[in-house]
Amino acid sequence: MAGLGYILRRVALMVPTLVVILVVTFVIVRSLPGDPASAMIGDRATDQDAARINAELGLDRSLPVQFIFFVERVFRGDLGTSFSIKLPVSEVIADRLPATLILTAMAAVFALLLAVPLAFLAAIKRNRVEDVAIRSAFQVGLSMPVFYTGLVLLTVLGAGLHWFPVGGYGDDLASHFYHLFLPALAIAVTLAAILMRSLRSAIITVLDAEYLDFARSKGLANRVIILRHVLRNAFISTVTLLGLHIGTVVGSAVITETVFAIPGIGRLMIDSIYARDYPMVQGLTLVLAVLVSVIFLATDLIQAALDPRIAR
Amino acid sequence: MRASFRNMAAALLVAAGIVGSLSNAAEAVTRGGTLVYGRYADSLFLEPVLNDANVDIWILSNIYDTLLLPTDDGKSVQPGLATAWKVADDGKSVTLTLRDNIKFSDGSPITAEDVQWSLKRAATPNNGIWQFMVESIDDVVIQDPKTVVLKLKHTDPAILTALTVFNTSIMPKKLFEAAPGATDADKAKAFAEHPVGSGPFILQSWQRNSEMKLVRNPYYWRQGEDGKPLPYLDGITFEVIPDDATRLLKLKSGELDGAEFIPYSRVEELKADANLNMVLFPSTRVEYATLNVRPKLSDGSDNPLSNEKVRQALNYAVDKDGIIQVVTHGVGTPMTSFMSTATPFHSGTTPLFPVDVEKAKQLLKDAGYPNGFKTSIFALSGNEDEINISTTLQQMWAQIGVTLDIQQVDNATRTAKYRAGDFTMRLGAWTDDIADPNEIASYFVYSKNIGALHTSWKNDEVDQLFEQSQQELDPKKRADDYAKIQATYNATGPIVPLYETPYPVALKKSVKGFVQIPLGNNIFSSTYIEK
Repeated sequence: MAGLGYILRRVALMVPTLVVILVVTFVIVRSLPGDPASAMIGDRATDQDAARINAELGLDRSLPVQFIFFVERVFRGDLGTSFSIKLPVSEVIADRLPATLILTAMAAVFALLLAVPLAFLAAIKRNRVEDVAIRSAFQVGLSMPVFYTGLVLLTVLGAGLHWFPVGGYGDDLASHFYHLFLPALAIAVTLAAILMRSLRSAIITVLDAEYLDFARSKGLANRVIILRHVLRNAFISTVTLLGLHIGTVVGSAVITETVFAIPGIGRLMIDSIYARDYPMVQGLTLVLAVLVSVIFLATDLIQAALDPRIAR
Repeated sequence: MRASFRNMAAALLVAAGIVGSLSNAAEAVTRGGTLVYGRYADSLFLEPVLNDANVDIWILSNIYDTLLLPTDDGKSVQPGLATAWKVADDGKSVTLTLRDNIKFSDGSPITAEDVQWSLKRAATPNNGIWQFMVESIDDVVIQDPKTVVLKLKHTDPAILTALTVFNTSIMPKKLFEAAPGATDADKAKAFAEHPVGSGPFILQSWQRNSEMKLVRNPYYWRQGEDGKPLPYLDGITFEVIPDDATRLLKLKSGELDGAEFIPYSRVEELKADANLNMVLFPSTRVEYATLNVRPKLSDGSDNPLSNEKVRQALNYAVDKDGIIQVVTHGVGTPMTSFMSTATPFHSGTTPLFPVDVEKAKQLLKDAGYPNGFKTSIFALSGNEDEINISTTLQQMWAQIGVTLDIQQVDNATRTAKYRAGDFTMRLGAWTDDIADPNEIASYFVYSKNIGALHTSWKNDEVDQLFEQSQQELDPKKRADDYAKIQATYNATGPIVPLYETPYPVALKKSVKGFVQIPLGNNIFSSTYIEK
């Protein structure tokens, strides 16, 4: 297992990352052309309206002062109040985060369930009909945009066969899972395609490795060899890839949440950027950055657990 | 005040349909059930005075109630929380009689103090962007517990209509003041999370960007066709489905009872659907291109659009019917004035600037641009309609030598540049919020509000006519003022009028009695689901 020192070292590394992200977000969101008052009251705003709103939002202060206020509040655990929906940012994010988390987790699980067995089959039946068929199918999955896959699933399994609801999120946990099945599947198709390709080659590399010959010569059962050696080694690269592609998954979530009408933070981010809702964009970026850092950390720890050489 | 026959016929047909469905209802209204309605976007801030978006305005009247109500055609007023009203002979005050036994949705009585406080709050300068509609209110006096008198700074022909508008909703003074927060804006934020009004419905729960549940207000004053209080429905669930394709799929699969903003391209298909009723509600929505008429553009170059003849040439070169076919799939109608045919005092009977490419070329030549010029337009990125309009304009103007550069920008960017006068052309859409021409005229025409759509267009005579019409109590004289304003603006103004469109709403065949009025408000108080 990875040592405590290793974990602490990795957590400490997150702090400067987050600080840089805070500064960059603060600057970038304010350097976008357009301003919150324009986004809020639009074309009809008079200059007085805009000035009044800027004063209300504290945007009449200088940038350094705004930044100090922002950082000081973040340290008190206060992410500010949303410009557009007038609620505390942390409250809104807490409200919307579960949908995205469940969606992302379901998508990752579905992707693994699709990719691992098929990658195995493809690797074992290398260059035969099964392999070619699986790889072609995933190539199609890879080249289909998520929103298109989503609409196809909605049309066929939702509106057509009525197996699943046509979008939405539901009222309780069970119905959340039910509602998120199709969107998770839509993301999983693309993700599985990415995972499958590298998993297949990882398995092939392991299968060809000399230590497998050694294992076989020891007389180990095929099942044991596959579980102890092939799966474990191939898993290291899968976990790495999954961790690396979590960004892709979150990116897909933005589109998927729109197509499937899911109140997650992906859609919230897009809406907030359009609304120039600075506190919301800052809060979301911070939360996402922490999340991704935690996922990377988890990835590293799992890798370290699977391959003790990494933690040294 | 004559609408074009085509529009009027269309409006009458729809109105007849609505009235027809209502009168059938006399025998057959059914009570109960929850209507599930698909919206394209969620509300932001359900507060009558401080909101600033259509997503709020268009459903506020379901939660809050006003002293007077608009008629379904959006052109006059009928009793609301007030049963009678009288404008004094000198036009400087309005006396209103409150209805007996009116209550807020928490069961507490609506008092003259609530009315006084609500109207004064709406009329407070700098409190929200809608104050201009009631700026004439100087004071609100309680004569007795049933009678309230509005004292006006000056005569105001639109004051009664203003009392139907969302920002004059009557709110519970004590509850609002008891809400946490130091300022009016802070209290409004807290109050709007759990609003208490006297409209037909009560906000029960709200999952942001996903689902809003309204339940019937047992204290609502209006009677239904069956002699019992409205509304007929037990509740409404608004589901937010931003993606057009998904919203339609959900409707067609039967998960929704109705959906708004049906894309024009799908209207014909839904008309043919046996389970659905595809309704095109008459609206005040107009679509147009705005032209900056400053002599120099922000980069210092000379601006051809400052020349009236150039603007007319651009107008004559546009085939409106072509655009209507390409963009609205025939759903739209050509504009006969800058304001919609559903706007009171609309004048003009024939489409503006019928396409005439030769005339356009001649006008350009007269203006000193025989070989045309290069110009640009802002189109809202991701907005299919605006991108289609821009590319169609590009082709049409190419015929007269005008090269159009299409610049796709997002809304906040566009608005900031537009407000700063840093644009050449942009596309825009407008809907009225009050059943009076004063709102659209003050933004489009009057130079002292936002400089005629930030174009810097200015006509002293028109400014003066507008100011005069704002205090003119004689409807005939006011109509004359508006006829003149429209004639001048339509001929020389800073816009290229494109089309009017109705509100496309699809409902299940079993849904009856729903109206979206020309101002956009969704009225569910008399809606029921047939069993």
